[in-house]
Order: sequence, then structure tokens, then C-alpha cells
Amino acid sequence: MADEKKVILKVKDLYQHFPISNGGIFKKQIGAIRAVDGISFDVYEGEILGIVGESGCGKSTTIRSIAQLHKPTGGEVIFNDVDLCKADNRTLLKERRQIQMIFQDPYSSLDPRMTVANIIAEPLEIYNARGLLDHKWTKEEIDNRVEELMDKVGINIAFKNRYPHEFSGGQKQRVGIARALALNPKIILADEPVSALDVSIQAQVLNLIQDLQQELGITFLFIAHDLAVIQHISDRVVVMYLGKIMEISEANELYKNPCHPYTEALLSAAPVPDPEIEKTRKRIVLEGDVPSPDKERFGCYFYDRCPKKMEYCKNHIPPMFDISENHKCACWHYDKEDHSKEA
Amino acid sequence: MFSKKKKNVTTNEFNQIVEGTSLTKEAWKRLKKNKMAILGLIVVIIYALIAICADMFPLYPYDEVVTEHQHLKPSFSKTSGELMLEKKMQDLYYNAWKQGRLVVGEENDAMIKNWIANDKTNKVWSYLLEAGEAQRAAGAFEWSKSDLSAIEKVEDKIQNDVMVTINGLYKNVNGKNTNLKKLNYNEIADIYASMLGLDRAVLDTSVEKELKMALVNEIKSKDSEISTEDATAQAEIDFANFSEKDFETKAKANVYGKIETQVKRDALKTVKANLKENPSQTFPYEEHQELSYGISADILATKTHDRRYYLGTDYLGRDMLSRIVYGSRVSIGIGLVGTITSILIGILVGSLAGYIGGRVDYYLMRFVDVMYGLPYMLLVIIMMAIFDRSIINLFIALALISWLTIARMVRGQIMSLKNQEYVEAARSMGASTARIITRHMIPNSLSIIIVYSTIRIPNFIMQESFLSFLGLGVQAPYASWGSLIGDAVSSMTLYPWKLIYPSLTMVIFLFAMNFLGDGLRDAFDPQSKNQL
Ligand SMILES: Nc1ncnc2c1ncn2[C@@H]1O[C@H](COP(=O)(O)OP(=O)(O)OP(=O)(O)O)[C@@H](O)[C@H]1O
Ligand SMILES: [Mg+2]
Repeated sequence: MADEKKVILKVKDLYQHFPISNGGIFKKQIGAIRAVDGISFDVYEGEILGIVGESGCGKSTTIRSIAQLHKPTGGEVIFNDVDLCKADNRTLLKERRQIQMIFQDPYSSLDPRMTVANIIAEPLEIYNARGLLDHKWTKEEIDNRVEELMDKVGINIAFKNRYPHEFSGGQKQRVGIARALALNPKIILADEPVSALDVSIQAQVLNLIQDLQQELGITFLFIAHDLAVIQHISDRVVVMYLGKIMEISEANELYKNPCHPYTEALLSAAPVPDPEIEKTRKRIVLEGDVPSPDKERFGCYFYDRCPKKMEYCKNHIPPMFDISENHKCACWHYDKEDHSKEA
Repeated sequence: MFSKKKKNVTTNEFNQIVEGTSLTKEAWKRLKKNKMAILGLIVVIIYALIAICADMFPLYPYDEVVTEHQHLKPSFSKTSGELMLEKKMQDLYYNAWKQGRLVVGEENDAMIKNWIANDKTNKVWSYLLEAGEAQRAAGAFEWSKSDLSAIEKVEDKIQNDVMVTINGLYKNVNGKNTNLKKLNYNEIADIYASMLGLDRAVLDTSVEKELKMALVNEIKSKDSEISTEDATAQAEIDFANFSEKDFETKAKANVYGKIETQVKRDALKTVKANLKENPSQTFPYEEHQELSYGISADILATKTHDRRYYLGTDYLGRDMLSRIVYGSRVSIGIGLVGTITSILIGILVGSLAGYIGGRVDYYLMRFVDVMYGLPYMLLVIIMMAIFDRSIINLFIALALISWLTIARMVRGQIMSLKNQEYVEAARSMGASTARIITRHMIPNSLSIIIVYSTIRIPNFIMQESFLSFLGLGVQAPYASWGSLIGDAVSSMTLYPWKLIYPSLTMVIFLFAMNFLGDGLRDAFDPQSKNQL
């Protein structure tokens, strides 16, 4: 199946380090937060790729780097044969038109002083003003497009002159989605789009995203904390830990057959809706907290907390091992050689 | 499918687009509920209207000196003449009492002496006036001869003193009246020379001399230690540096003033002569007078002592009402312009620091910190002492130092806005910095800036008043609330109205402004803890 799919976005060895300065006048750099520390993955056209991981593991940073909101420290993000990290401003703008974002907090991602119509029209206006649309759009055309989008995401057109604070959280998130759709993007990067919403509203918004994906064939990169959400919505899942990818797999395969000890722990922590299973469920409790991402690591990033760690893992960074066709895992236990005796 | 739809075709039952309520509208709604704030707003608007339209009210000029009307007390019913007479009578009764001609009884004598010992002069006067009038009505007291002649003198004055105000001067050319103000220096000088039968050359030299003299005085007033010779030399240089236009306007004003004085004198003679001929002439009246030397004038003739001073007069006989109104204009103007200037500087510095961040931010903010550390008022006082004490310099001095807080505030606001997701969203859509600032940052910080400004204005006015009170601010003949109060304190017990009315005006304004500011803050920030 993977062979038929077209790779739409390629992330190669992406690094995103945030410098730590000493706070003096000259801001001497004394270290770096390694928020994203060398990750590679492909995104296929039309899929929903979920990203999971504990808080602070660099999920948001990953998609921000892909959207070039931070200039990545190193690596490539290839879209349409263009490396976005090295593209000049205009090319970047032109290509980025195809990559839009949905934000986590619908309350703060909409400007409180603009009407929803203006908010949804903003990307159109920006690209129109820069002459990057197919032709110069008239006000009328933009208006029509806004109404079309509002209809598509299920907001009453009559409310177009309302302000964000006059909407519920779910409606706001719909506005955010409409805004992301305005430029007909190929990829939408969604950073926990439902985690700020009530559970019942979450389902509605998730269904909307799924419908849009099916109807318009948009590719989604979808971050979520909630494993159930990820399972429900995504085709493939990336598991991240401390700025590194631990495991990439088809969603169902991952839930049935988690390989990485970290994934196992994550899945074991998620409640299961069946009370019988829930009672007998064995939880893997990880020791300690997520270590701080501010130092360079030379072994497995999960080494400190791994219940299955070996001496070998301490000093060797595991590459991605193929488990099956659509399943990769970064753990020395899956190497063909046995490392348990090595140091 | 929607492209065929017309605009505003809708979907809800009422077939209308629902109008949204913006945050500003909501804030306004909340403000309307706050009675004190609305009251404050109304008061502020009234003040502003009065200050702006001051020229349209029938006020006496705020700098018109009528020496005989010194320190008249405020009165709605009495004219200045009656007040003068009353003052004279108070004086005469007091003398009579001292000479023992006016007898009020031993107990009252003791009371009056006690008042005198405690500087309660006003009480003495009003008591003696009342007692004297009562005794005179009852026939127990008679004016002496000298008293009578003094009173008669005053009455005569009241009857016969007239004033002339020139509202326009015209030169009659070929049956057409041309306003003298529209002529240039050369033409005006010709007229004046012919009026006095002077030689033009003589006039030119005397004008030049007077302009130089004015320069010398100006230089001396700025620097009291400069010697007369140095000042004269400096004035020569300044005069030589006058541009054509400078000279033209100054010389013209000089000669125009001379003509006006001359015309006034002549017109006054005519008016007085008319009054003698026809004592029943009603005043005031307006008239177009032809003067002998080919000039005509619009004049307003008034009886000097028919004037009414609703808020009294000051030590030069200037109308307090007019001075307070024009003083309000100066005070509010300085408060407003100063606040605007300081806010512009503050926004510029603050947004630079906040938006660029990093080293720029560091240095700008350290600079602000250092400025904060300096004794603020002292700096302004030093600046005012060094530079020319004009109104412009006053507000520059205030504005230069008062942008600090707003710069910090705007910086904080911009920094927090910079990390807002909607700004990030705009950036992810490729919005330019200019667009982000104008469409997102400014609209979102405006409310805070407006609130801060309204709270800032009273502060500014207080500072201006403080400086003027110290004599470092607004200089005569201009007035401001502070300078009016400053002028009044020394004679507070004798002439309390000079202190009370300006203070009241100022206090009411400051209260109103503070209520408004608080109301605005609560309206824009409903979570604020300071709500009523
Ligand atoms: N602009 C920044 N400057 C410095 N450090 C940052 C910045 N943004 C993120 N970080 C750090 O990078 C790490 C990863 O942050 P990130 O926001 O990507 O986590 P996350 O996986 O999205 O977490 P969450 O699930 O809580 O949203 C964190 O340690 C964070 O402190
Ligand atoms: Mg995040």
C-alpha cells in the first residue's frame, strides 16, 4: 500500500535547538534546549498522521519548524521538491500556501478584535495583497469564499459579523478550521485542535476534520495527547520522546502491537472503555520524570526511564528498525543482532 | 454554489445578518452602566467645549487690566461700580469707627479688635458696612464732609468713566474700507507717519530701535546675569539675522499697536464728549467712527464701571472668570498635548523594545530604568529653569520625562501579544510585520493605551499646575490653574475667591477625569479587581 501512496512532505533529520543564554548584556549562549533533535519521517498524500508523546517532547516544535515559524537549526523539510528551510521568502510564501495550521487554543488563536468573517478572510487578503493568488480577488469573491467556508465547517452564515467572544469553544475551533481551509491547502498542521474542548464537542470537531479530509483529500498532521483520539482519527502514528521519534506505525498496528517500551508504557496508561479489561489491565509505570532536553545525548533518549534498558543502549543511539512494512521502531531490542551482552 | 447568492442573503429565521458586538462596543455598554464614569465623561466634555469655544463667549479679555477694579469680590447682582462704591464705603466706615464717629458698642468693639488681631479683615469690613448702613438709615450716623466728597468722587467716576474697545481699523481708499491688518508694514507705516505728521525715515528708525529694545529685554529675561552691553550686542546680532518675514510681522505689529493706541485715545475723546452732551446715552454701544486722518474704526464704547465680575477680579483688576476659562484652556491643552506626546514617544520606544526584543530591548529598558531613577520633578524644574519659560518648553519638559511608564507598559503589552496564538497564526499565514502591527497589535493594545492616557492626563495637569504654582510654568499674562492658584495663596484670607474658584475648577476636572479613567479601565477589563 505504501508504494502507491505519494510522499507529499518529507522531513529529513530535522533539528530545532533553542539557545539558552546567560542573561548578561552580551547574551552569551551557554547551552541549548534540544526541542527537536534529529527526526525524519514521510507524510503521505491524503493521510492523517498522528503525533503523540508526553508534554514537552517537542510535538508542537516539530510542526512549527515544518511551518517555518521557527527557522530549524538543521535538516530539511521538503515539500513540492522545495526545501522550505532554505527557500527564500517569496518561494516560501508560495509553497506555504499549501501548508496551513490549526491551533490548540481556539480562545487565543482568533484575534478578539476582528469579526469572524475578517478572520477567515485574513489569509486570502494577505495572499491577495501579495499577488500570490491565481488572480486579483475582488472583495465580493473573498466574501463569497468566506461564506462558502463557513458553510463547510458548519457555522451559520448569519453570524459572520460576530466577534470570537460571541462563539462557543467548538464554534471558535470551526472558525479556526475555516481559516486554515481558506487557501485550499494540501496539508493542515493541527496542534492539539481538540484538547481545549469539551469531550462532546471534541467528537464533533474530530468528525468535521475527518469529513474534510475525506471530502477534500487534505493531508493532516495531527497532534494529540489523547491516545484514544489519535487512534480514532489517524492512519499512521508517530510516537515522540524528548525530541526524538521512538516509533512510527500504522495506527491499528501500533495499538495491537506496540514495540517500543515507551509506546507500551504510554498505551498501558490509557484507560480502556471496557471495565473488565480495565480492571485487569497491567500498567507500566515509568520511573522518574521526563528529563530536561538541554543536554546532548549519546545513547538511547529513553535510556534513563526504560524498563528494558541494556548496557549497550547507554552509548548507542538506536536507528529506526523495520518491524513490518509500515512499522518502524527505534529500539536496540529490534536489531537483528543481539546487544544484550555488549556494553 | 454560493457565488450566485447575493450579499446579505441569509439563513436565520429573521432573514438578517446578526450584527456582532465588538469588544469596544461591549466596553462602551459597560461604561454606560457606570454612572460615575458617565458623569465624569459629561463633565470632561463640558470642560473641553468651554475651553475650545472660549473665544465665542462674551468674556472680558483675560489679560485686560482695569486698575481701578483691583480685587473686586465676585457678585452676580452688583456691577463693578457698585462694588467700588461699597469698598469705598467700607473704608470710610472703618475710618469713622477708628475715629470714634461710628459707635457700635463696647462688646462689638472687642469683637472687631479681636478680628483685626486675627487678620480677619473681611469680617471687619462687612460688619462695619452693615452696622454703618443700618445706623445711617436710622439717622444715628452722618457722613462727614470729606466722606461725602470722597463718595461723590467715586460716584462721578462711575457715571463718567468710559472705555473704548477697538474691533477693527480701516483705511478708506477710494470709498472702499480696507482692514489695516491686511496691509503690509510699508503701507501701515505710511499711514502712521501721516497721522502724526512724522517723517517716514524717523518712524522707521524708531521702530527699529523699539524692536531692538524688545530683543534686549527678551534676552535679559532669559538670562538675568547678562550685562546690558552684552545683551545689546546680542540683540544687534539677532536683529541682523531677522528674516524679511520676521521683520515684516514684528514691525507691522509694532506700528499697528501704535495706531490702535492713538485711535483709541481719539475715539475715547469723542465718546466722552458725546456723553457730556448727552448724559442719558445708554451703554454699551457699537459705532463706526470716522477719524480725522482718513482712518475709520469699529469701536465698542462701554462704561468702565458697568462691568460685572461674576467670579471677582485679581490684583490687576482682570476678570477671574475669563482668566479661569482661558487658564482651563492652557491647563487642559498642556495635559492633552503632553499626554499625547509622551504616549507617542512611549509607544515608539515600547513597541520597538517589545517587538525587536534582544539587545535593543535590553538597552532601551536599562535607559528607561536609569531615567526612572532620576528625581523626576527636579529634572523638570532644572529644565524649566535653564530654558525659556514658555508653554511649549513646559510641555516638552514634562513629555520628555513622562513617557517612561507608558514605554514599559507598551513593551509588556507587545511582548505578551507577540506570543498570542493569533499573532502566530497571522505569521503562519505569511502576514508582514507591518500588517501584524497595524491589524493585530495596535487594535489590541489600544484599549490599554486609552485607559492609561485618561489616567495620565490629570497627572500631567497636576504637574503643570505644580510648576506654575512654583512660578516655573506658565508665565503672565497667560494663566493656568496652577498659576492662578499660585497667585492667590499669598492673599488667601483677604481675597478668598481668587483661590476658591480656580481650585474648584481644577478639582472638579481632576475628579471627573479620574472617574472616567477608572470607568474606562473597568469597562475595558471586566475582570479587573477594582470594580465597584
Ligand atoms: N520558543 C522556545 N524557546 C525555548 N524553548 C522552547 C520554545 N518552544 C518550546 N521550547 C521547549 O522545547 C520543548 C518542547 O516543547 P513543545 O512545545 O514542542 O512540547 P509539546 O510536545 O508540544 O508539549 P505539549 O504537549 O505540552 O504541548 C520544551 O522543553 C519547551 O520548553
Ligand atoms: Mg504543544
